Amino acid sequence: MALYARLKQSIHHLVLAAASIMMAFPFIWMVSSALKTNEEIWSFPPTLLPEQALWHNFMDAWNAAPFGQYVWNSFFVASTIVLCQVVNSAMYAYAITHMRFRLKGVFTAAIVLGYMIPATATYLPSYLILNELNMLNSYQGLIFSNCVSVFSIFLIRQAFLQVSGELIEAGHMDGARHLTVLFRILVPLTKPFFAVIALITFIEQYNNYFWPMLITNDPNLHLVSAGLRSFFVEGGAYGLKWPLIMAASALTIAPLLVLFLFTQKTIIQSVNLSAGATKG
Amino acid sequence: MTSKFMNDIKAFGFMLPALIPLMLFWFIPFGYIAYLSFMEWDFMNPVKTFVGFENYQALFSSKKFWDTVRVTLWFCAGSVIPIILGGLSLALLLSDRLKGSFIYRTLMFSPWVTPTVAVSIVWSWIYEPRVGLANTVLGWFGAAPVRWLEDPHWALVAVLIVTIWKSAGWSMIFYMVAIRNVPRPLLEAASLDGAGSVKRFLYVTLPLISPTTFFLFIVQTISALQAYDQINILTQGGPAGSTRTILYMYYQSAFQSYEIGEASTVAMTLVLFCLLLSLLSFWVGKRTVHYNA
Repeated sequence: MALYARLKQSIHHLVLAAASIMMAFPFIWMVSSALKTNEEIWSFPPTLLPEQALWHNFMDAWNAAPFGQYVWNSFFVASTIVLCQVVNSAMYAYAITHMRFRLKGVFTAAIVLGYMIPATATYLPSYLILNELNMLNSYQGLIFSNCVSVFSIFLIRQAFLQVSGELIEAGHMDGARHLTVLFRILVPLTKPFFAVIALITFIEQYNNYFWPMLITNDPNLHLVSAGLRSFFVEGGAYGLKWPLIMAASALTIAPLLVLFLFTQKTIIQSVNLSAGATKG
Repeated sequence: MTSKFMNDIKAFGFMLPALIPLMLFWFIPFGYIAYLSFMEWDFMNPVKTFVGFENYQALFSSKKFWDTVRVTLWFCAGSVIPIILGGLSLALLLSDRLKGSFIYRTLMFSPWVTPTVAVSIVWSWIYEPRVGLANTVLGWFGAAPVRWLEDPHWALVAVLIVTIWKSAGWSMIFYMVAIRNVPRPLLEAASLDGAGSVKRFLYVTLPLISPTTFFLFIVQTISALQAYDQINILTQGGPAGSTRTILYMYYQSAFQSYEIGEASTVAMTLVLFCLLLSLLSFWVGKRTVHYNA
């Protein structure tokens, strides 16, 4: 019986290990290809390990295009958006959960309705509006057009609904103003939600491609995804310098994998929260 | 001034920072695109011409549009079902408290955090027809090489593989949480009644995790309807339109051929799809899904 259980467990591990390696293999393949020479990469059959690891390919790729600028753009734009979204979502969610006013139902319904409109469908008119505002091709445009999210408002509303009204009442009795109640009482109580939203929004915006690509054509404003893609298709790189392309991809992917390793718990928690939110 | 009025003003002040961008980039665009779908316009011309339902008639009678609908349906079915089944199987494999499952979980979930553009570029190297990894693996099994991204029969499969690979780990996490929340006593009671592990799964676990399945179905379908990055990098809607989804057609007519009327009409069909799905989710959610874990 013990032997049987052991055997069963080993098989279990084997299956899991195989599945994990399959999932991670594209990353392994990417790094291995990045370390090869241009000749070696075209030889058949392909080998897992390079004859000689060319670590300088990473340096060469980094210098072949302004990747430093792209990373900075992504980082700056994503962080600013996170900051804006956290503040304005918290305020909106506070109003529709803990303030008394007329038309409250309408403003709550607006969020649920907004949740159903696919963002991509609005890209054409949003582009035209951004053009009217003279914000195409600018950081302002990139940030302003992304600085609100119905999803964040929806999730924070869910969190605020769980906080008892008595606590808020008590705050008001002590003469606290709405802003104080919101930022001193509610936000600290629902911190995990904010951590999750900040992290998910950051990753999404850092990786964002479709919309930023539509509204900017200045290479100095490229986020990492658009920057990497233009390195991929331009500069004679397309289909010719695979090791460099793989090295550049690895440089783009690595920071996110590192961020993920350190924040795994929070990201996985997001599942608990958003799964819970849909039940309400 | 009444205090009621003051309350309204205060609340409005709180909502304003979100309301401005929400109006400008969410609600006004929605009305705007509905309006544009009744116009003929090409961006350059200052004049928009009202054409009534002509755009809709033209769209619904064009073969190109129905081809994109077909591709979209295949894309949705081909990504959503494997993502859900794959996520569920991985979660079941990981659900026993096995040593080291933390590492497996990390590896399987990692594709989800990485930029779609970057991983699509990596996959386009894997799909390289002559020395790419995909064809090498096919070769081990004695299968003939495939021109993944240039063959109209395979291009959609290639895009689907990337899409599934990227999201399976994500749905796995949802299932892991759901499975952990299944009450132990229920499973034990079923065991006492003589139910084996298969029966326990089918009659206890599966019904109890149905809200998760349903949630994943809706979320994944909506994201499949809006998939752009991987299609743009891998195939750009080609070859021969075999990977052109409704969204991709919208992008092409709006930003490549500047047929604003057609693009807006296409966008309206996309909105309609999503609205129907959301309504369905409310309706089904209220009726059949088992909420009480």
